[in-house]
Amino acid sequence: MRTSEASPSDLGHADLGHAQGSFAAASGAGVRWDAVVAPQSIDRVPAPRPPIHNSAQPIQVHLQLFGALATCCPQRSLCFEQPTGTAIIDMLLAAQERLRAPLLVHVLDASGAKRRHCRLFVGGYAVEDLRTPLDATTGRAEIDIILLIAPEGG
Amino acid sequence: MNVFNPQSFQAPATDDAWLPSSCALCYGTCSILAHRVNGAVVKIEGNPESAVGKGRLCGKGVSGIMTHYDPHRLRYPMRRTNPRKGLNEDPGWKRISWEEALGEIAEVLRKVRKDDPRKLVVQRTTTVTASRVPLHAFATAFGTPNFSVSGGGQHCGNGAHLISGIMHASWSVVPDFEHCNYAIFFGASKGHSAGHASCSNMGKAADARARGMKMVVVDPLCNFAAAKATEWVPLRVGTDAALALAMCNVIVNELGIYDGPYLQAKTNAPYLIGPDKLYVRDPGSNKPLVWDNRSSSARPFDEVLAADMAIEGDFQVGGKPCRPAFRRLREHLRQFTPQWAEGISDVRAAVVRRLAKEFATEARIGSTIVVEGVALPYRPVAAIAFRGSQGHRNSVYNFYAVDLLNQLVGAADVVGGCLGFNPASHGHPETGKVRYIPTAGPDGLMVVGSWMGYHYPYPPAEPRAPRNLGLQDLFVIGMTSPFLDSSDSEAIWDKLGIDYRPEVMINFGANLVMSIANKDAVAASLSRYKLIVSFDLFLTETSSFVDIILPDCGYLQSLDSRSNFPFIFSLPAGQGEWCWPIRQPVLPPDGEQRQFAEVLLELADRVGIRADLNAAYNAWLDLQPPYRLAGNTPYSYEDICDRELKNHFGPQNGLDWFKQHGLVKWKKTPQEVYWRPFVDVRVPVYWEFLKPIGEKIAAIAEPRGFTVPQEYYEPLPSFLPCRSHCCDKAGFDFYGFYYRDIIHTNSFTMENPWLDEAARLDPFSYTIAMNRSEASKRGFTDGQLVAVESETGRKVAGRLKLTEGIHPEGLGFAAMCGHWTDGQPIAKGKGVFYNDLLEIDWEHASPVNINLDLCVKVRVTSAERVS
Repeated sequence: MRTSEASPSDLGHADLGHAQGSFAAASGAGVRWDAVVAPQSIDRVPAPRPPIHNSAQPIQVHLQLFGALATCCPQRSLCFEQPTGTAIIDMLLAAQERLRAPLLVHVLDASGAKRRHCRLFVGGYAVEDLRTPLDATTGRAEIDIILLIAPEGG
Repeated sequence: MNVFNPQSFQAPATDDAWLPSSCALCYGTCSILAHRVNGAVVKIEGNPESAVGKGRLCGKGVSGIMTHYDPHRLRYPMRRTNPRKGLNEDPGWKRISWEEALGEIAEVLRKVRKDDPRKLVVQRTTTVTASRVPLHAFATAFGTPNFSVSGGGQHCGNGAHLISGIMHASWSVVPDFEHCNYAIFFGASKGHSAGHASCSNMGKAADARARGMKMVVVDPLCNFAAAKATEWVPLRVGTDAALALAMCNVIVNELGIYDGPYLQAKTNAPYLIGPDKLYVRDPGSNKPLVWDNRSSSARPFDEVLAADMAIEGDFQVGGKPCRPAFRRLREHLRQFTPQWAEGISDVRAAVVRRLAKEFATEARIGSTIVVEGVALPYRPVAAIAFRGSQGHRNSVYNFYAVDLLNQLVGAADVVGGCLGFNPASHGHPETGKVRYIPTAGPDGLMVVGSWMGYHYPYPPAEPRAPRNLGLQDLFVIGMTSPFLDSSDSEAIWDKLGIDYRPEVMINFGANLVMSIANKDAVAASLSRYKLIVSFDLFLTETSSFVDIILPDCGYLQSLDSRSNFPFIFSLPAGQGEWCWPIRQPVLPPDGEQRQFAEVLLELADRVGIRADLNAAYNAWLDLQPPYRLAGNTPYSYEDICDRELKNHFGPQNGLDWFKQHGLVKWKKTPQEVYWRPFVDVRVPVYWEFLKPIGEKIAAIAEPRGFTVPQEYYEPLPSFLPCRSHCCDKAGFDFYGFYYRDIIHTNSFTMENPWLDEAARLDPFSYTIAMNRSEASKRGFTDGQLVAVESETGRKVAGRLKLTEGIHPEGLGFAAMCGHWTDGQPIAKGKGVFYNDLLEIDWEHASPVNINLDLCVKVRVTSAERVS
C-alpha cells in the first residue's frame, strides 16, 4: 500500500482559481475525481429477459394482479391479445380499458414512470422500463403485477 | 398445515455438535456457533468463519441461551377472556388450540379484507431483522399499506437512515476503520455498542484505536464510545447541527479548505441556483445548469467536464442572477460562527475551531493511496451520526450538517473516509447475485442501488393527501411514523380525510407500550383495535391489549434464508468479505411453539391469499425462474428459503448446503468498497428538492388546519430547536435523554438473567445519570431516589448515579427499563421507563420527516421519604 500525500499548499482551495485542475497535480498519481469515473468499470449486468418472439403472430397476454391491486380491480386475472412489439405501457392501457378500473394510477407516478413499489414481472423477470416491448418466445406473456409496501424502518 | 415437526428433529444418540446460525438478541444479527450436547444448547460463540461478527459475540449474544430456556417462555396459544383492555386489566388468558386460534383470526381477516384491507396494521420489532420479509410479504398479499416498526424503527430511523441513503446509498454510515485517522462521532456509538455490524465493528474500531486513529465523540454522555475515545466533547442535548455547521463554516470560510474537484464531480455544488432557491434549468432539457468556465456559458450539468464547472462566482443566466450551490452554501455557513455555536451547543468556540482544523487538515485533500493495486482518493477522516443526534425534531438538519463535513473534504466512500454499509455489490462471482450499484436519478443525483423497502431516500415520492395511517405518503421525507399511536391520531386522520380506521393488528414481537412513547397514549391507540394478534416469546406490557397470543419459536429454533438484509444493513463496511449467513434451528419447538413465518403461510391459506403471498415473496425476494413460487402452491417456509438461496447462489447451494456450511462468502474488491470514484453519481450538498416538497405538503395540509413550517424545508441546513430548547419553565433545567445501553436491547433483553446481573453490576444501566457538580449544587446525592417530571406533567422515578461524564444540563437514562408485567419477573421493577416522559403528537413530530422528538426538558426533585 502506498500513499501520495498532498503538500500543505495543496490542502484546500481558497478560491475558484485554485479549485480548478489542481487535484491531478496534487495527487501525483494522475487520479482525478472526474477522471476516475469510468462507467464501464462497473457495468450493470442486464437483468435476464425473456427471448424475443420473432413471430408476427399476436401475443397472448395473461395479466395477473396481486395484493392491493387484486382487491381494487374487478378482475384479478385477464387474458387478451396484443400485437408483437407492443410496449408494456400500451399493454397496461389496454388492460385498464378491459378492466374498466383505474389500474394505471397504482402503477404509474405523476411523471408517468413506474412506481418503485410496484413490481411488474414479465415471464418471471422484473421490468422497470415500461417502454420495453412485450415479446415472448412462446407467443404468450405472463405478466404479474403487485404493489409492495413503501415505508420501512429499523 | 405447515408445522415444524419436532419428531423430525431427533438429535442423534451421541449428540455433540457446533451448528452455524445467526444471533437475534439485537438487529446486528451476528453469526454464531451454537454448541448442542444431547439436545441442549450449552454454549453460544461467535462464528469466526463469518464476516458478520468475525467470531466475536457480545454479552447479549452469549446470553441468548438464557432467553431461550427462560421458564416464562410462551408455549401455547392463548385467548383473553377479559374483554376490557387497559394497562391494569388482567387479560384472563385461557389456553386454546392452534386450530381455534387460526380459525378465529382467519375469519376476522377474511371479513376485514373484504371490507377494506387497509384496516389491517402489520407491526414488527426490528430486533429480528429476518422478520421483515415474511411480515412485509403477508401485508403485501393482504393489501394493506399500514406497516409499522414500533419504537425500534421510529427512534432511530427517519433521519439517520434516509439521509445515509441520500448521501451514502446505505442504511447507515461508519468510519473506514482500516484507514481512517480521525473520526468524529455525533451521538453515535458505531463500533462500541449494539446495532449494525456491532461485533465486527467493535473489532475494527479497537484495531483502529490501537493503530492510532484519533476518535472524537460529541455526546452529552461519556459512555460506550466516548469512554474509549481520544476526546469526549460534551454538548447540550440535541444541538449537534449547531456544532457541525460551525465546523463547516470554519473549514470553508476561515481555513479555506475544501475538496474542489470532489465537489465539482461528485456533488451538486456546481449547479446554478436562482433567486427562488431552485436550480436554474435548461429550457429544453429541464436539466440543471452549471457554469462552464471553458466556454463561459451556462450548460446542462452532464455536458460539462467536472473540472470546468464553476463552484464559485456570480452569474447571469437568462437575465436572472444565479450562483453555484456551493457558493450559496459557503455564504449560508458564514452565519454559524463558533461563538454562535458555543451559545447553542455549549461547546467552546476555541474547541469548535480546533476540531474543524484537525478534521480538515487530517483529510489530506488531494492525496491518493493504492489499495490492492488500485489508485484511489485517500481522505482518512470521517464524521458520523446516529441515534443520539438524529432523535430530535431537527433530525434532518442535524444529520445533514454532520455529513456536510465529509462532503466538504471529499471523505465520502473513499479510503479512510465515511463509508456507507456496502452500497455497491458486484454479486457472487459465480452467479453475479446479489448485484446492485447506485445510479444517477433525476438531476444526476444518486439513487440507492439497494434499499430496505421501496420508500427510497431519493428521489422523494410526490406528496399526496394521505391514505396511509402513518401519513408517510404525505410526509415523504419520513419513513417510520408516530401517527399510528399518537394522542391526536384520530383528530389528524379526521382533518386529513382518512376515511377508515385500523381494526386489526398483527404484531410480531414488539412491546409497543414501552418502546414508543408515554404508555397512556400508546395504550389508548391499542385499545381501539377490535383484534390484536401477537407473536411473542413472553408476555409483555403490550400483551394487556392483545386478544390472541401466539407462541413464537426463538432464534435458536428458527430458520431464515436471510438472517441479515443484504448487504446495506449489518455486513461490516470496508475491506473484507461479502458474507451471506443463514439462521437454522438448533433446537426443536417447545410445547406448541411455531415459527411465525410458517404460521403466516397457514393463515394465508385460511384467508385465501396464498397466490398473493407467493407473488409477494417473489417480489420481495427477487426470485427468478425457475425458483419463483407458482400460483397458490402451499410451499413451506423451508421451501421458500431453499428457493431463495438457490436463486442467488445456484442449484448446488440450496438450504441443505447452507445448513451444513452456515454461510457463503467471497472477497470484496476495492472498486466495490470504495465505489464512489467509479460510479457517476452526485449527492446533494444543496437540498433543492426539499423546498418544493415542503410547499406541496403545506398545500395539502394547511387548508386542513395544519401548520407546516417551511424553515424545515430550506435547501440548506440550520439549527432548529427542539421543544425542549424552548422550555423556560422555572425549575425545568435538565434535558432528559435516553441512550441505548450496551448490555440491553431496548426493552427486550431485560428478562434475561445474565444480562440483568450484568446490568445490576453496571452503575448506569438501571439509574439516572446526573452531573456530579450540578447534583451537588442542588443537594442531590449518589443513589438518591428522585422524581423526574416533564413540562407536561409526566413523571418517572429512579435512583441517581452521579458522574462527571455527563453534560451539566443532561439527564441520561439507559435503554427502556422499568417493566411492570408479571410475565417478565426478572425485568419487573428494574430501571427507569424513560419513554413515559415522551409526548407523541403532531407538535412533537418533526414537520419534515415526522421524527419523534426524544429529548424532554425536565424538573428533578427528591422522592425520598422524609423521616
